Amino acid sequence: MTELREHEARTLQAVAALGKSSRSAQIAAQTGLDEAAVMRAALVLAEKGYASIRDETTLLATLTAEGRVYAEKGLPERRIVKIVVGNGGRMNASEAAQRGDVPVEMLPIVYGWLKRKGWADLDTTNKTTTITASRLPDTSPDEKVLQRLSGSPEIDMSILTPADSAQLSLLRQRRLVAVHERTDKVISITEEGLRLAERGIAVRSEVSSLTPEMLATGSWRQVRLRRYDVRAPVAPFWPGKKQAYRRFLDELKWKLVALGFKEMTGPIVEAMFFNCDALYMPQDHPAREVHDIYLVKSPQYADSAPFARYLQNVKKTHESGWTTGSTGWKCSYSEAEASRLVLRSHGTAESARTLVSEELQIPGKYFSIARCFRPDKVDKTHLTEFNQVEGIVVGEGLMLRDLLGVLKRFAVEIAGADKVRFNPDYFPFTEPSVELQAYKDGIGWFEFGGSGIFRPELTIPLGIKVPVIAWGLGVERLFMMKAGIDDMRALFSQDLEWLRKQELA
Amino acid sequence: MVTISVQQEDLEELIQAKLPADLVALNEILSQIKCEATRVVSEESGVEELNLENKDTNRPDLWSPEGVARALRGFLGLETGLRGYRVAASSGTSIKVDARLEKIRPFIACSIAKNVRLTDAAVRGLMHLQDKLDSSYGRQRSRSSIGLYEYDLIAPPLRYTVARPDEVSFVPLGMNDQMTLKEIIAKHPKGIEYGHIVERNSLWPILLDSKNSVLSFPPIINSNDLGRITPETHNVLVEVTGTSLSTVLNALMMMTISLSDRGGRTYSATVHYPYGETKKAVTPVFKTNRMKLSHDYVRDVLGIDISVSQTIRLLGKAGFSASKASSKAFNVVAPCFRLDIMHAVDVIEDIGIAYGLNRIEPQWPPHETVGGITQQHEFNDLLRELAVGLGFQEVLTFVLSNPEKLFTRMGLPTDTVVELQNPRVQTLTCLRNWLIPSLMEILSSNVHVAYPQRVFELGDCIVRNGSEVKEVVKLAGITCHAEASFTEAKASVEALATNLGLHCQIAEVDHGSFLEGRAASVSSGDKEIGVVGELHPQVLENWGIQNPAAGFELNAHELRLIAANH
Repeated sequence: MTELREHEARTLQAVAALGKSSRSAQIAAQTGLDEAAVMRAALVLAEKGYASIRDETTLLATLTAEGRVYAEKGLPERRIVKIVVGNGGRMNASEAAQRGDVPVEMLPIVYGWLKRKGWADLDTTNKTTTITASRLPDTSPDEKVLQRLSGSPEIDMSILTPADSAQLSLLRQRRLVAVHERTDKVISITEEGLRLAERGIAVRSEVSSLTPEMLATGSWRQVRLRRYDVRAPVAPFWPGKKQAYRRFLDELKWKLVALGFKEMTGPIVEAMFFNCDALYMPQDHPAREVHDIYLVKSPQYADSAPFARYLQNVKKTHESGWTTGSTGWKCSYSEAEASRLVLRSHGTAESARTLVSEELQIPGKYFSIARCFRPDKVDKTHLTEFNQVEGIVVGEGLMLRDLLGVLKRFAVEIAGADKVRFNPDYFPFTEPSVELQAYKDGIGWFEFGGSGIFRPELTIPLGIKVPVIAWGLGVERLFMMKAGIDDMRALFSQDLEWLRKQELA
Repeated sequence: MVTISVQQEDLEELIQAKLPADLVALNEILSQIKCEATRVVSEESGVEELNLENKDTNRPDLWSPEGVARALRGFLGLETGLRGYRVAASSGTSIKVDARLEKIRPFIACSIAKNVRLTDAAVRGLMHLQDKLDSSYGRQRSRSSIGLYEYDLIAPPLRYTVARPDEVSFVPLGMNDQMTLKEIIAKHPKGIEYGHIVERNSLWPILLDSKNSVLSFPPIINSNDLGRITPETHNVLVEVTGTSLSTVLNALMMMTISLSDRGGRTYSATVHYPYGETKKAVTPVFKTNRMKLSHDYVRDVLGIDISVSQTIRLLGKAGFSASKASSKAFNVVAPCFRLDIMHAVDVIEDIGIAYGLNRIEPQWPPHETVGGITQQHEFNDLLRELAVGLGFQEVLTFVLSNPEKLFTRMGLPTDTVVELQNPRVQTLTCLRNWLIPSLMEILSSNVHVAYPQRVFELGDCIVRNGSEVKEVVKLAGITCHAEASFTEAKASVEALATNLGLHCQIAEVDHGSFLEGRAASVSSGDKEIGVVGELHPQVLENWGIQNPAAGFELNAHELRLIAANH
């Protein structure tokens, strides 16, 4: 008679009883063994020809965060129709949007759905759209699917009707539903396995675990400890670890410290003065418009105390050049605008703060890793919130040669570049300005930084009498190349599996 | 970044030399004028074009094929020194300005270019230049806007005057029928886009000739009959109106010199103002910019040892005229179109570029400095190390958030936070004042990933108290799995405290995010430093999480101060 170990026998019997083919989880439930034990047993059974193992992939649909909101509050087109019907059947679209808590920028999408579903008529004159809807529409097929999804954490897509599947892909296009894969191990019994199960199995009596009790009593001498198949898979273990991009920034930080750079800091909610004015960006500069900088709604103005000493110098420099030897921007300068609160849009704001800090040391080298904000549409190459690595070198006699030296050192020490070259560049606050290009075998030339010597119109009004070199590094791209990713959104990845699997070496 | 499209053939015609066909080689040349080219097929013409991205937003002279050619001729060694522009003669055209424009759109300037040689490419270039000057340099036409006309169809003298919105009608560019000014504002695409500039006044600007034909309705739109330039046009009238005299004159100068580079001879016009100090102005104005430059300053900024004669030669290459003023100084004249020259450093940069940045020997600055990070960041790193040791995966999330995420979904009443005036999307409207919601979002997007899940973040939170805004670094962690509970989270907090040498008091609190009787404040001495608790099932449900979870959030700044005084 063939002899099996206890787990193997129980697994084989369970597969036979469950109908010849089952998922490892089902067998675990049937036998009371844990899944890892079932898999170990199944591997032995497979090796002996009693069973076979295969992967079965299931597609599962879940609601996204936005989808959950809609499942609860209703789709925006439903909310709009409801408001319009409640208002007597006719209403201005933006008013309906406001009352239905639907953002105005979503209206074009809502119009599309209203038309597609035939829920309302639209009429646009003079840029104003009026919505007409006589009655509340019945629940649409996509809403039914949405409701069904909100009732359970995930749905096996193979059990959906073709019609429901079609609705689901519409919801997926609207990013209300996310689909992921689950892979199960399915264990099937072979003919030989079936015969064995019918004939009866002799179970070899073994103990699987050594216990403290056995050691205390010495009873381990009487039992037979089961042999393991050391090649059998074990459940994965996910250790605690640092986020990969942050870890990369940590390394960068220590490299800069080793090169003699001191860390500087500054606030996220910043005054226009430090973010723009002190950097000699004129008050009507295009980079200060609403699509390039986040304005704070409330409070709107900063306390001007931290920069009051320099405000008049900066004002006169913008207006007429003051004593800087410049013509200035020749445009009027508003002191109130200088206090306007914004979200820091570049790390150079911290450099401006450092130059007026009492702790500034000359000569000095400074760096910062600053969270910055710009109202960009988020895509593969843009984030609305990102980290900038920037810094300055302050010292008597600094020249363009030194700037190039700093850049070259960064390219070699930080990016591991084989060679570098320099191109003219432009920033409103530096002149001359230099772009750093680095070359790496296997990658080729890539842009690794922007830099320059701060304009006298910046340094003199802040009371700095020596040249200041300013630099910024394109570290995001460097990390992306190292990590082999081409989507910038992965830097702030919410995907736990991806984070767990990031290799550190 | 300003992008223009040009045809390589057209550019070569203007430069009068061949440019490399290879894009890499071409870009090496273009990088000298801070441009980068990509090849595209134009949607308008179907012809292959170069898209030139110009990094220098302060160089409107490079926003046209003529301007790019002008700059490249110097760098290619085909032309040296100052490119001068001059008025050939007066055209005899005069413009009378209505006194009522003083508070509306006070300035106008005008030039005439005769015998211009235009091609399709040249006309498109002029249109693009006009568009860029209007939008960027003219700040969306509020400071200045340009009109181009077929000079031969116009009967001078011109009148720059005002009209009531329904008083005058004409056929605007791109339309077939007459429209009143009011209709143009309501229906014409340009009227809809720029109408707000005129709408605040009851009288609107209008430019007429002596036969009362409408040239344009500034700054909205030109006449379809008079304001259309084609390759057959030989004589062009350029007119600029605006609210800033210097912007108006500079925009006119830019357009006029482009026409001049296309073979046009420049004729002036005379503007008669009823207000201001200058009653009679002759335009266009080509004003060069003279300055003294010290030889020492050049060498101090660039760090290269170049002689006086070498510097003069490089200035010529960069398009300046230069002469020796003394043994240590130069007289430098910048051409009229170099509006970016505000300071000597602007000229010095051009000397550096003409010399070749890659010929300058890089040098690591000789100053000795000591590096270091702030005490807080050093402490933050210690906290992160401990959190990792406790088995937590670090995450990085956004500071931008929204009240629904921060409060509603967390079972809390809405608190005051720093809100944005111009959010880009509805999901990012304010700054977070606590971290746990960011971690909940992570758990929420990973319900299908293997448990146990333990995540932490050390990050910035912005706490608002009335008009006071305080930026606080916090450390938060959540553990989420079938057996997760208050006990585990509390054990984590105590392990952190013990390793920092702190003694913490744990006291029960009411907190909407956590279960009653399983929420506690964490304090040390009389300072409250954070909170620990087991997430309320309602909160878990709000986030779609189907495993118990417990978490903590601690103020890293306070922790450091207490640890330092311990």
